Amino acid sequence: MLDQSTVSRVEMDWSGPERLTMNMGPQHPSAHGVFRAIVTLEGETVVAVDAVIGYLHRCHEKLSETLTYAQYPSIASKTDYVAAMTSEFAYVLAAEEIGKFEVPKRAQYLRVIVAELQRIASHLLWLGTWCMDMGGALGGGATIFLYCIRERELILDLFEALVGARLLYGFFQVGGTRYDIPDGWAQKCRETIDVIDSRVDEYQRMLEHNAFFLARAKGVGIVSRELAQDVGIAGPLLRGSGINWDLRRNAPYSSYEDFDFRVPVETDGDCYARYRVRMAEFRQAITIVRQALDKLPSGPISSRPALKSVAQIRIPKGEAYARVEGPRGEVGTYMISDGSAKPYRMKWRGASFSNLAILPHIIPGHKVADVVAIMGSVDPVFGEVDR
Amino acid sequence: MQDSKVVVGPSRYEGTEITTIVRAVLRAMGTTLRNLFRKPVTVHYPDKQRQYPSRYRGLLALTYDKETGEENCIGCRLCEYVCPPAVIKVEMLKGEKRNYAKAFTLELYACEFCELCVQVCPTDAIVMMKSFDMPTADRREMLLDKDRLHAIGLQYEQSWATGNRLRDMQTPPKAPAPAHAKPAAATAAAPPPAQADTPKPEAAV
Amino acid sequence: MMAALPPWLTLLIAPFVVLNVVIGLVTYVTLLERKFAARMQSRIGPYRVGPHGLLQPIADALKLMMKEDVVPTAADRRIYNLAPIVFLIPCMLIFATIPFAPGLGVADVNIGILFFLAVSAMEIVGLFMAGWGSNNKYALLSAMRAVNQIISYDLPFIFSALVPVLLAGSLKMSDIAAAQQGSLLKWFIFYPVIGQLAFIMFVVATLAAENRVPFDILEAESELVAGFRVEYSGMKFALIQLGEYAHMIGSSFLGALLFLGAWSGPGPEYLGPIWFLLKAMFMFLVVTWIRWSFVRIRVDQILALSWKALLPATLGLLISTAIVVVWRTSAGF
Repeated sequence: MLDQSTVSRVEMDWSGPERLTMNMGPQHPSAHGVFRAIVTLEGETVVAVDAVIGYLHRCHEKLSETLTYAQYPSIASKTDYVAAMTSEFAYVLAAEEIGKFEVPKRAQYLRVIVAELQRIASHLLWLGTWCMDMGGALGGGATIFLYCIRERELILDLFEALVGARLLYGFFQVGGTRYDIPDGWAQKCRETIDVIDSRVDEYQRMLEHNAFFLARAKGVGIVSRELAQDVGIAGPLLRGSGINWDLRRNAPYSSYEDFDFRVPVETDGDCYARYRVRMAEFRQAITIVRQALDKLPSGPISSRPALKSVAQIRIPKGEAYARVEGPRGEVGTYMISDGSAKPYRMKWRGASFSNLAILPHIIPGHKVADVVAIMGSVDPVFGEVDR
Repeated sequence: MQDSKVVVGPSRYEGTEITTIVRAVLRAMGTTLRNLFRKPVTVHYPDKQRQYPSRYRGLLALTYDKETGEENCIGCRLCEYVCPPAVIKVEMLKGEKRNYAKAFTLELYACEFCELCVQVCPTDAIVMMKSFDMPTADRREMLLDKDRLHAIGLQYEQSWATGNRLRDMQTPPKAPAPAHAKPAAATAAAPPPAQADTPKPEAAV
Repeated sequence: MMAALPPWLTLLIAPFVVLNVVIGLVTYVTLLERKFAARMQSRIGPYRVGPHGLLQPIADALKLMMKEDVVPTAADRRIYNLAPIVFLIPCMLIFATIPFAPGLGVADVNIGILFFLAVSAMEIVGLFMAGWGSNNKYALLSAMRAVNQIISYDLPFIFSALVPVLLAGSLKMSDIAAAQQGSLLKWFIFYPVIGQLAFIMFVVATLAAENRVPFDILEAESELVAGFRVEYSGMKFALIQLGEYAHMIGSSFLGALLFLGAWSGPGPEYLGPIWFLLKAMFMFLVVTWIRWSFVRIRVDQILALSWKALLPATLGLLISTAIVVVWRTSAGF
C-alpha cells in the first residue's frame, strides 16, 4: 500500500529489467526495531523507498496527560529506550521551565554526567549494531557488536550502582534528580571511562582504515548541506554534513556552558563522515564526564521537597518547549500546563522521527546492501519514532 | 562561542594502496586475535551470580518492623496512587493504635520497577530486593498477594533504597543545626557522596 | 593394506569410511568454529550440552531431524526438493580425490586437482535450484548474487591452485603432496615470494567461493535473511549446511595439501593423516578468523575485486611461476 504522495522516485534513464517491490518488513534482523521499508528495486539498485512506521506506537503523549509530573519521568525513558536519560531530561526541563524552578548546581552537574555517559552507551550500541548490519550476525560485524556490548555493560553497571536499574532509569525529577552518587562511584566512573577510552581506540584501529569498512561507508548515503538544512534533521546526521550546530553549545542547558568541549563537524555527508562525528563525540563525552567529576560541587540534589505523594508537584499555568542534545539529535518536549498536577498537553519531538524523513531523499540510487548501511548510520530508535 | 571544528585523526584516506589495505587487514585480525586470549566476560548464571550493587531494583516485597516484628504497612495507599501502571491494590484495615493493610496485591508482570512506590512509602514497608529471580511458567504466579510479598521480603537480601533513605537523599538540607541532624543519615554539612551508606556499606559498584 | 582386498570391496568400503568420517568431521567443525569465534568475542561458545558443549552438534543434528518439513505452497516442488541433494553431492564428491596418506585415498586420479576444482564449482547448480525453487524474492536475489560471485571467483581460485601444480609438475594430488615431503622448507607456502602470494590469493578466492565473510553477500543476514536457504527447514536445511561446511573443509584440505605439505610432519609415517588433519584445521581456523574480523562488502565491490584485481593478479602469478619453473629446470636445480 504505497502512499503515492510520500514516495519519491528516481527515474533511471535506462529501462532495465522489471522493477521488483520488496518489503523489508517490520521484523527484520537489521536490529533497529520495527521498521518497514517498501523498496522498489531495479536489479540491485533501489529506485524508491517508502517508509512505514507506527508499529511501536504506545500513546505516550496521551499517557502523559493522565500521569502526573512525579510519575511520568519514569515512563519517559521508554521513548528512546537506548538513551533513556535524555528522554527524561527533556521532559523535566520543560516542566522546570514553565514553573521557573531552580535546579541546584550539583543536580545540574549530575545530570550532565549521566547524559554524557548515556551518550557514550548509546553510541556504543550504534557502533555495534551498525557493524552487525553491515557484517552479518554471523560475521565480523558480530564481533564488533559483542565488543561494544561488553563496554556498554560497564556503563550500565555504573548506572546500576547509581540508580538500581540498567536500562530505564527514572533518575530525573522535576527540580533535580532522584539519586545521588554513592561512595566510590566517582572513582569507578573514572576507571570505566579510561577503559572505554582505550577500547574505542581499539575499535578505531580496527575500522578506520579497514578497506572493507571504507568500501561500505565512504560515499554512501551522502546528505548534502542544503538537504540537511531543508529536511530538519539534527544530531550527528547534521554535523556530518557540515552544519555546525549542537544544542549543548548553541543553546546550553543545565550548566553545559561550564564545560570545555569541542563539537565535531565533518563536511562529507556520507556514512563515513557520520561515523567520524560519532567517534569524536565519544572522546568529547569522556572529556565532559571527567571535567564534571572533577568540578562536582557539593549540595542538595533537588530544589523541591522529596517526593512523598503523587500530586505533590504542581506547575503554574504556562507552556514551554525544552530541548536537549540527545545522541540522535534534538529531543524536545513541548508542554502546556494548566496549573494542576498533570500536564494539559505534552508533545515529544522525537529525534529519530525527524531524522527518518531524510531516507526517501538519500536511499534511491544505492544498492540494497547500502540500505542497511544508511539506516545504521541514521541510527533510529523506534521508540522515539512512534512514541 | 567560536566555531569548533574537530578533525579526528589523520586526514582524508584516499586511494587503495596495497600497503594500507594490508596493514588495516592485519590490524583488524590482530585485534580479534588479541581478544582470543582475553578472559571471557561470561558469568555462568545461575551457577554463579554476579555481584548486585546495593541499590539494585529487584523484586518487590513487604517488610516487618525489625524490633517489634509487626508489619510495617499501614495501608495508607500512597504507593497505589503513585504507581504509573497502577499495579498495586491496597485495602486498609483500621485498627485501634494503627492501621494495617487488609489486602495488598501487586501485579509483578506489569510492574515497571520504577521504585516510585518505595520512594513514597512513609514507613519503609515496601522495598525492593537485590534479586530478580522469579521464573514462572504461569503468569498468575506473578500476581503477588500480601503473604507472598512478605515471604519475598524474608527470602532475599534487601536493597539499600528504602523510602526514608531516598527521601533523605533528595531533601534539600535545612540550615545546618547539629541538633536536627539525624544520627544515621548524613548531616547537612557533610558532602553528599559520603552520606547515608551506613549501616550497610554500599558495595557501590 | 588396500591392496589385500578385492577391488570391488575396496570400492565399497573406502567411500563409505571416507563419507562417514567427513560427515562426522563436518559436524564437529561447526562446534570448533563456534567456540573459536566465541573466544574471539570474549564469550564462551556452547557450554551446557555435554561437557564444554561437546554434544552440541549431535543435539543440533537431532533437532534438525525432528523438525517439520515445511514446503511453501508456491514453490516448484521438484526443483525445491532436489536442490539440497544436487548441492550436497559435489561437495561430498571432492573428498574422493584427496589422498589422506600415501596410498590412502578413495580415487587418487591422475587429474585430481582438475577433478576437484571442476566438481566443486558444480555446487552453483544446486544453489541456484534452491533459490529458484523457493519462489521467494529474497532467495532469488541471493541466488543471482551467488551465481555472479562464484563464477567470478572460480577463475582466480583455479589459477592460484594451479601454482602448486606448476611447482610440482603434476595434476595428481599425491604427487603434489610427495613433492613437499622431506623438510619443512619444501612446503610450497615457503617457496620464495610465489608461495606466499599464491597462498594469500588462494585464501581470498576460497573465502569468496565458499561465501564466507567478507564475501558472504549472498546470505547477508541483515538484508536477505539467510539468502537462498531461507525457505528450507529440517533435514533439507541440514543437508545444505552439511554441503556448505563440507565444501569448506574440502577446500581446507586442498589448501593444506597444496601449500602446507599434506601429510608431512615429524614423527612416524602413520601420524601423517593426523598432521594432514591438523593442517586442514589450521586453514579452516584462518578462514574463520578472517570471517569474524571483517564486515562484508557489497556485491558490486566483490565483483570488482575479482575481475579487476584478483584475476589479473593470479594470472600474472601463474605466468611468473611458469617462467620461474622453466628457468629452474633449465638451470638444473
